[in-house]
Amino acid sequence: MIFDELTALPQFSLRQPDKEDLLESALQELTEFHKEHSPEYRRMLATHPAPPGTGLARIPFVPVNIFKQHLIRSVPESEVFKIMTSSGTTGQQVSRIVLDRETAARQSTALTKIMTHVLGPKRLPMIIVDTPNVVKDRKQFSARGAGVLGMIPYGRHHHYALDDDMALDVEGLIAYLSAHEGEQLLIFGFTFMVWKYFYQRVRDLGLDLSNAVLIHSGGWKKLLDEAVDNSEFRDSLQRDTGLSRVHNFYGMVEQVGSIFLEADDGYLRPPNYADVIIRDPHTWAPMPFGEVGVIQVLSVLPKSYPGHSILTEDLGIVHGIAGPERGWAGHRLEVIGRVPKAELRGCSDTHAEEAQLVSS
Amino acid sequence: MMHAKVKNTADAQGVPKSMVQLSVPRGQDRELSEVIDGVVHSEMLLPFDDILIDFCAEFSRTLAKRARGFSELQALAFWMRRAELMRMREDFRGLATERTVLMPRGLVVHIPPANVDTIFIYSWLLSLLCGNSNIVRLSSRATEQTELMIDVINELGGNARFSRVAGSTAMVKYGHDDAITAQLSARADLRVIWGGDGTVQNIRRSPLSPHATDLTFPDRVSLAALNAANADALGEDELRDVAARFYNDAYWFDQMGCSSPRMVVWVGEEGIAKRSSARFFQALYDVTVSKGLRVETSAALSKMTYGFSVPITQNVGQVQSFGNQVLVIENDDLEQMPTGFVGSGTFHSTVVGSLSEIAPMITRRYQTLSHFGFTSEELHELIGRLAGRGVDRLVPIGQALTFNRFWDGNDLFQALTRYVYVDNSQS
Repeated sequence: MIFDELTALPQFSLRQPDKEDLLESALQELTEFHKEHSPEYRRMLATHPAPPGTGLARIPFVPVNIFKQHLIRSVPESEVFKIMTSSGTTGQQVSRIVLDRETAARQSTALTKIMTHVLGPKRLPMIIVDTPNVVKDRKQFSARGAGVLGMIPYGRHHHYALDDDMALDVEGLIAYLSAHEGEQLLIFGFTFMVWKYFYQRVRDLGLDLSNAVLIHSGGWKKLLDEAVDNSEFRDSLQRDTGLSRVHNFYGMVEQVGSIFLEADDGYLRPPNYADVIIRDPHTWAPMPFGEVGVIQVLSVLPKSYPGHSILTEDLGIVHGIAGPERGWAGHRLEVIGRVPKAELRGCSDTHAEEAQLVSS
Repeated sequence: MMHAKVKNTADAQGVPKSMVQLSVPRGQDRELSEVIDGVVHSEMLLPFDDILIDFCAEFSRTLAKRARGFSELQALAFWMRRAELMRMREDFRGLATERTVLMPRGLVVHIPPANVDTIFIYSWLLSLLCGNSNIVRLSSRATEQTELMIDVINELGGNARFSRVAGSTAMVKYGHDDAITAQLSARADLRVIWGGDGTVQNIRRSPLSPHATDLTFPDRVSLAALNAANADALGEDELRDVAARFYNDAYWFDQMGCSSPRMVVWVGEEGIAKRSSARFFQALYDVTVSKGLRVETSAALSKMTYGFSVPITQNVGQVQSFGNQVLVIENDDLEQMPTGFVGSGTFHSTVVGSLSEIAPMITRRYQTLSHFGFTSEELHELIGRLAGRGVDRLVPIGQALTFNRFWDGNDLFQALTRYVYVDNSQS
């Protein structure tokens, strides 16, 4: 079956036309599967025309926030293994994603295939750019904590580089680096924290990280406020710490497992299991390369819930297609960030809203 | 116009000092009790005194000149034009009888919604015309429109001719401060609360003086009804004209105004209704295009999510998009309007055989029915069937947002005044 085939192939190795053929039939099958097994999905599709476009773009999508409003499953309740939720500040609705064992296993297999593509088959000594308490306090379980927990299996001898006040544990870091001298290292953290609390200190200390691979995620909003974009981020790390293997990733709880990983050209790539379409926010037709639109993500992993084709609330650009020659085939995606929120008008509870803003 | 001794009074009573930001009259932050005393002790004017009419007419004239490009403000200026003020005075005088006189209530405290910019002016102007002293709480997020109106009010207030009018009004801004709301409430003779259910409930936690009352304008929803055969008989231009008027009703406040239609009911034979509906929404789309309406992407995504969400819980035919501007959800389950309405041109559309068939689905929350193509008899038959359950206004399409003294079931002239009963019969 298609999932095994995509797993057996090296990641990021498929030529785009071949990939689209494979994914299109797999996603069509998934659409039929979900229609058959989820009455909610069936009703959504029955009331909506197919999206504009051809080929992969004809696969129906659902808007990502539908998972915040409805618990939608394509498996009997008895097979539900776990319900994942997205992060969200207090009062915000969160996505609830239903997993059965099969989908959970597929996610885990996919994630491992994608990560080992850049980390190699062996687990590397791992520096986590965060405080150890981010995973200890389960009551305050956060997106950060979940991200760290998700990455922990890909490393060993975990070292947490920060304390609760986001201060770098300088002695600890130096000791860790010398203990693992000459070894490949994995560094993981959230983009903003890596920049603000780790890179800037490491640079001032003059430490060498040239034998490390950095995996980071979490969005650019805060960094763009400081006028730091991806190329500035990469250039600075390389210049000041020798760290050249830098991989941002893009993923979401609604499609766990099929994460997009940053290639050596600084753009994200969908893994074998996934692809991306940029849609025009006025017509919802697929956009030409190089133009900003709303990101639709497609993934063959979700079987327990109809999340195989999702229109996100993120803006992005596809900068053409890369061939497999350098090991990073596929759509070259740049994620711009969230669609800006419009201010609502109307004579509803506006003072109450103000109050919430004050208290949050 | 503020009294110097006021501060001492407040201190003597042990009232905690609360500072408010003054927008009208524009000035330094002031202690609230001073502001209240200032307007309460200003010279009282009788309802529809000439000077009040002059002030309102001048306000309208100046606003019309200054607010070019702001259609909501132009509508407000038009509504307050002198000829209309004279008509209002006649209507007001018609309320008095041989044995009754209408007099001001006293201090009216207005709590308007934060982001329908013009509502506070309507409620304030009517109250002013009725001779009341007024304190208006302005939203801290004042828009360009609000600031423009405040500038005009301050300019007129600076005119010596209007000093008696200006002294009776203060417009203040303050953060979310229950102590201030409490202090205002304790002094109010009438408290006017606009805004959602939550705001009304929240403000009501502050007690009023025993004699005082609330006039509340909570969350409401509205609908439109069209006679399908009459709509079907319209030529392209006529239909477009109806759609253009409907556009004003629905799109001015991103369809989040209480009076903006969310639901469109087609009355007539199914086939004709479907045909009329298709033509109408296409015409509406054409209007949005000619008006240059752009729906922001986040709003478009919210609409799309809503369009996917409703069919999960309700019986929906097709969900049809005309660009991002018009989203039509064919929906037969209208007894239960779905929650989480997103506005920006989202319409539930349904077909019924006769107008009075909508009666069972109407609840207290329904405010305005904007209508096209019905006879007075049909409208009155519906009102009779509703028997007070809901719908306070039935107006032609295009007038849904047109404010007048009859609002949410109240006659504001009566609500803003007291009937003084005078019996001089010698028995």
